[in-house]
Amino acid sequence: MSKNMKKMLTGYGLVLPSFLMVMLVVTWPILTAMKTSFTDPDTGGFTLDNYKYFFETPRELTNILFTLFVVVVTVALAIIIAYMLALYLRFVRSKISRWIGNLYLLPRFVPGMVAVYAMITVIRDSGLLNRISQLFGGDFKPGMMYQASGMITMNLWFNIPFAALMITAGLGAIPDSMIESARDVGASKLRVFRSMILPLSIKDVVIAATFVFMSNVGSFTTPYLMGGNYPKMLGIVLFDQFNKYLRYERAAAMSFIIFLICSVSAGVYIYTNLREKEWEKN
Amino acid sequence: MFKYLNPRRFYYAVGRKKFLEFILLAVFMLFFYGPLMYMCIMAFGNVYEVPNVLPQEWGFKWWSFVFSQKSLVSSIVQSLVIAVITTICSMVLCIPAAYSLARFRYPGRKIFMLSFLLTNAFPKLGIYTSIGILFYKYNLMGTLPGVVIIHMINSMMFMVWLPCSAFQSVHRQQEEAARDVGAGPIRTFFQVSFPMAMPGIMVATLYTFLGSMEEAQGTLLVGLAKIKTMPVEMYGIILDYPGQAGAVFAILLMIPAAVMIFAMRKYIGPEAIAGGFKMK
Repeated sequence: MSKNMKKMLTGYGLVLPSFLMVMLVVTWPILTAMKTSFTDPDTGGFTLDNYKYFFETPRELTNILFTLFVVVVTVALAIIIAYMLALYLRFVRSKISRWIGNLYLLPRFVPGMVAVYAMITVIRDSGLLNRISQLFGGDFKPGMMYQASGMITMNLWFNIPFAALMITAGLGAIPDSMIESARDVGASKLRVFRSMILPLSIKDVVIAATFVFMSNVGSFTTPYLMGGNYPKMLGIVLFDQFNKYLRYERAAAMSFIIFLICSVSAGVYIYTNLREKEWEKN
Repeated sequence: MFKYLNPRRFYYAVGRKKFLEFILLAVFMLFFYGPLMYMCIMAFGNVYEVPNVLPQEWGFKWWSFVFSQKSLVSSIVQSLVIAVITTICSMVLCIPAAYSLARFRYPGRKIFMLSFLLTNAFPKLGIYTSIGILFYKYNLMGTLPGVVIIHMINSMMFMVWLPCSAFQSVHRQQEEAARDVGAGPIRTFFQVSFPMAMPGIMVATLYTFLGSMEEAQGTLLVGLAKIKTMPVEMYGIILDYPGQAGAVFAILLMIPAAVMIFAMRKYIGPEAIAGGFKMK
């Protein structure tokens, strides 16, 4: 057996156990779900009704649009704020930026439910904000619970640190010497940003945006604890179909609708990632 | 010192740039840490009614309440056991795969890498609901191995991608040098590659452990109320008990995360974490 062949087999041997695990506990269930989603609950035959239901019922259509609205606003705000935070962390060297640089890593590791619970105690109508306003004689009711604004606030709490982290890692790879040399030959700060920093970090911005998008489309904990009855986020629609109405076929169809929405961003992600840099090939 | 409490004096004392930085820090702290701090205050309030900003009576009443609930204490133990088993299993399974993807070039490599992305792109609930069929067939519903498998699904992507990018940053020449002086492939792996990729592996382990500690949905669906971890109990507490009990339990849920992060603070940095989201 040639040396190359042997190496290849070792490679396959090491990767196969975990790949088979993914096949068995992820891919196979997904394929089963696909079959279920095209099955008529009464006759057991092939049907598109489970999908049609979500696109033809006005209430369900509103849920889909509502989810897209919440997710797009979350992605846009999170990326813009995170980009500014990342620029600050990368280019300002001070004690405060070092503190923030350490502190912003933590929210990533706080259990999701704990964070949602903590946020609820602050923004609900009898929460901390309201109590503080009463101290000053007012009666400010944030009115954010069970609304899109509350969920977006919570999503920002989760996603700004994450996006900032991804972008900071990207910005960290830009050497100071490169920026200094551009400045030396007379480029303005704006020019340096536009023609060097932005193009060099755009890949990380796209990666951050796709992950923020994907993790929010089907999110469950935040809308479950903070969302209203109508319109609902798709994660809750899916949960209700499964848990409340016991319509497994529709639940499966909903999984695929969420998956399709996610795949749009997964496609962008794969496209950005697979363009391997020339010097990284070996 | 007190003169700095006047914003205007403070502005002139430290200058515009510093002043803006302080505002940034204040906004940052209030938004990201304010809610968590407030929850800590709540947990120590014996009596705490609306319109009071701070509890009327401080104490440990709700702490003793939480610890007197047998089911809550057993859920803490169960959570830790499951998290440890999940972490060990996924390390054994995923680190060899990560090494293979980082070091070997073979057809289908990109597809292997992408297959792990699938665990993140498909809604988890969709996977959990249809995995039930498989689990019923093999009697895994309501059992510990079943729940461990669910927890492993969640963290597999990080457990492969993060160590993979860490292994890639170990120079091939270092491994070759070890081989040249006579070390076998296994020894080279454990004494050269593994220690050098440690930061990435540590962060991945942290993710897996904490991810397992906070997983609720899948445990609820597959555990069939027989396996009750802390987050599963937490849903009940948020809905059934007064706010302070929830705050106490939330703090208990946060302690493992705090301890782990403190122990591994050396390894946690933006570069190490970001590696888990990039496919190379």
